[in-house]
Amino acid sequence: MKSWMYWGCWEVISVTLSKLSLRNARRQAGDYLVYFVTVILSAALIHAFNGLVFSEELSTLSSLMKSLPAFIIMASILVICVMGWLIHYVTAFMLSRRSRELGTYILIGLENSQVARLFFLENLIVGCVALVLGLFLGGLIFQVLRAIILSLFHAPYTFSLALSPKAVLLTVVYFTVIYLIILRKNRKSIRTMNIHDLIYFEKKNEEEAVKKSRSRQTLFTTAILSGIAGTLLLLTGSMFFILLGTACVVFFLYGFFLSFSSGVPAWFEKRPGKKYASHTLLIFRGLSAKLTTMGLTMATVSLLFTVTLISEGTGMLFGTLFQNRVEGSTCFDIFIGTVASDIHNPNGSADDEGTGTPGDKAGALSGNAGTSAAGTPLRRIENPEACIESAAPEFRACLEYIREEIPLRASMQYNIYRGENLQVTDYIEQNTEYYSYYGYDPLMAYSDYAALRRMLGYSDVPLEPGHYIIHCMAYLGDLMEDYNQVVSVSGTCLSPESVHTEHFAQKLWDGNGRGFLLVVPDECLVSRPVSHTIYGAMTSVPLTQAQDDRLQEIHENQRGGSAGLAHFSSGDCTLMSKTSLAREYAATSACTIFPLYYLALILTMAAATILTVQQLSESIRYRQQFTLLRKLGMDRLEMAQTLRKQLALYYCLPALPPLLISIPLLCAMGNTFEPGTISGPGQLAGILGTALGFFFLIYLVYALMAYGNLYTQLKTFAE
Amino acid sequence: MLQVKSIEKYYGNKNNVTKALDRISFDVEEGEFIAIMGASGSGKTTLLNCISTIDTVSAGHILLNGQDIAGLSPAELARFRREKLGFVFQDFNLLDTLTLEENIGLALTINHTSPHTVRDKVQDVAMRLRIDDILNKFPWQVSGGQKQRAACARAMVAGQSLILADEPTGALDSKASKNLLEIMSGMNRDYHATILMVTHDAYSAGYAARVLFLKDGRLFNELIRGNRTRSVFYHEILDVLGLLGGDISDVI
Repeated sequence: MKSWMYWGCWEVISVTLSKLSLRNARRQAGDYLVYFVTVILSAALIHAFNGLVFSEELSTLSSLMKSLPAFIIMASILVICVMGWLIHYVTAFMLSRRSRELGTYILIGLENSQVARLFFLENLIVGCVALVLGLFLGGLIFQVLRAIILSLFHAPYTFSLALSPKAVLLTVVYFTVIYLIILRKNRKSIRTMNIHDLIYFEKKNEEEAVKKSRSRQTLFTTAILSGIAGTLLLLTGSMFFILLGTACVVFFLYGFFLSFSSGVPAWFEKRPGKKYASHTLLIFRGLSAKLTTMGLTMATVSLLFTVTLISEGTGMLFGTLFQNRVEGSTCFDIFIGTVASDIHNPNGSADDEGTGTPGDKAGALSGNAGTSAAGTPLRRIENPEACIESAAPEFRACLEYIREEIPLRASMQYNIYRGENLQVTDYIEQNTEYYSYYGYDPLMAYSDYAALRRMLGYSDVPLEPGHYIIHCMAYLGDLMEDYNQVVSVSGTCLSPESVHTEHFAQKLWDGNGRGFLLVVPDECLVSRPVSHTIYGAMTSVPLTQAQDDRLQEIHENQRGGSAGLAHFSSGDCTLMSKTSLAREYAATSACTIFPLYYLALILTMAAATILTVQQLSESIRYRQQFTLLRKLGMDRLEMAQTLRKQLALYYCLPALPPLLISIPLLCAMGNTFEPGTISGPGQLAGILGTALGFFFLIYLVYALMAYGNLYTQLKTFAE
Repeated sequence: MLQVKSIEKYYGNKNNVTKALDRISFDVEEGEFIAIMGASGSGKTTLLNCISTIDTVSAGHILLNGQDIAGLSPAELARFRREKLGFVFQDFNLLDTLTLEENIGLALTINHTSPHTVRDKVQDVAMRLRIDDILNKFPWQVSGGQKQRAACARAMVAGQSLILADEPTGALDSKASKNLLEIMSGMNRDYHATILMVTHDAYSAGYAARVLFLKDGRLFNELIRGNRTRSVFYHEILDVLGLLGGDISDVI
């Protein structure tokens, strides 16, 4: 053949191939719409989160936000692996379904390499279209994420459609790597296949991993035992056991799904009455047939769901923890506290009153204000910034700045006193989870308490002579209501009067007691040593970020402490502000919850896509089944009911083991948080419910897509 | 048992109407074995589909035991199919995910038979059709002939009164075909099963007691075997088939 003729022919073939690729790509996008949509959404999410990685605006919001890119990239590595698996799985699946068609191309004279190129091209077209759409959608999602983060920091948000070129580049790199690796692999396999292989490739299915029935039964039993042991090991909290538990759980999931298909038929075989009852036969056989051929896939899907549920649950739990920290750490807009004079020593008793060195410091502090620790009048100073020389020396630098720059509504410096023993602390420790800190029960003067309540806007509380009030965190409320013991302070016996649980800066070690505080008549505290001193202020308007930064800076410079946390513990003094706590909450949320949800979302979508693509690819089998059942006289309603049950089981099965593993794990995780973070089983159930609800909502969308498609076929072929 | 009265079936729209069945009438007595023959496109399968209620007629009536099936609601039609009709298809139409026992039992479960009696009933019919030793196997593990026998078992296990067979030997080799036809004859002879079989194979039609020939949607001829041997009947069928290529006036 003359060379111009050859090139002419080649050009014609090439154009035809391109057209064919384009047409096939379009058809493929239609047939595998669920997959196509998932790839677009995943590309969009990856791109949106890449946008967060490169956003300078967000990284300057807080020092903690500088670690956001690291968290997102860690999540992205997992996401890329999962996306790679999804794309590999679906393209290999499409290859198996279309191998006869590709074999026919070779049969009519195309070369293997041309067919490989055809398959490569059409998948590349699908990938490119998904990527381009994903980039645009991702730009919008990035704006939503940006708006959420900025609102968490109370920073102003302005809409812009600008796409970070670096983020675009990173997303393109991720997708190029995934597609090139996978498509090259497929291309290679097509190039080496002969016509027979291609034509009969669709007959191949996932091989049964365990062929002998007896081995499968042994595996099934071992897997179940391993699952129970693994879950229990995960609950221990020890790193070694957690790793061992994870290995057991992974073994359980794979062992369970690889052996399950043999267990169910064997069970039904012994119970024909159950097998032939109603439409169980169709349902269980449909399921076991699927499991026999896709046990490995089901196990992987189940593993992904386990990771998803744990990610979502952990995200929710951390969110609650951070929120609780903000709410519980301080009730004041600005809080400064000295360190307690005597902390709890579980191996020994509290220091003798007034003789311990820390007590001396507190005494000296009060002395500066013209009082002494024992035998002197109580000193509460209202608006101490107005007379800085009488305020505690640790507070003075900050108070000077506050006086100059921050308009206040009210402020107060007051003391927390040392009780005579650990009577109430012991009661709490014996009855609930409580980490004690002080070597005594902390006390507060009633006049200070009443003034603080007024300052915080709480209702007035009376205190009869000879009584005391308990103010505690909400989670200790019920326990303290039951406490009716008399306490002795400076020789006066006091009876309990009431219990209050409003937010009162009781979470940390230097607030109004840790978890609880006894409010006693002022006269009882005349001779009691001071534990520590607190300055609390309520501002007229919330602190700006600049004011907050400056305040932290002054505090840090004054004491030479380390920054980085919202509560600056520098030497013997702590500074907290609501603004910095809110910023810490925002930064920690952005760094932990966002990547965890990002991961969870992609894992759910990828796993649900695989399950749905598997179902929809069976549409021909379903069609035949509907036609046959119709001829056999099954009515449409019964068929629809059977289909619903079949799909419900199919979608529930891979989600069930993850539920059984993640629920106890998340409950255990919730219980390891500091006491009071989660108020009770109700709140924990709410957190788990929200996390599971989020997962099931996405999952349900996929299941409904499969049902909708198959139901349409049912209506068509069973009419 | 079955009365087909002047049925007509049209496909298409106003501008392009195809007449698939044209005023066809015949009766089927209980326990009869009838074959319907004709070339491709003659309307055999359409006729079978109309009788099996899978398709509806454009005109005319089909009565089974005196009941006009055209007047039945979809639910009644489904019930009618599962209680009265048994199907045997060319491509067997067994579900790959079920064992042969389960495929046969499926007809009973759809009929809401007591689940405890299903296995016994399946076993009973399988013994009659000599497939009781392969009941635990899946369709892909057995031969075409065995699959078709399982399909026959499914068609009669629920006590269906009319078995409709659409090219039952179409996918079988000659030995398996003969075997199956013997079995169908046995079902007809020993259990008085009424069989209506569509085929284009003269050898298969030779097993029937009566053969109806269709051409272009019309009933072209009818042959009754009577006391003739199968061989003689077979040759008569071939003669009529020869005429099928001609015009209808060549016969009448």
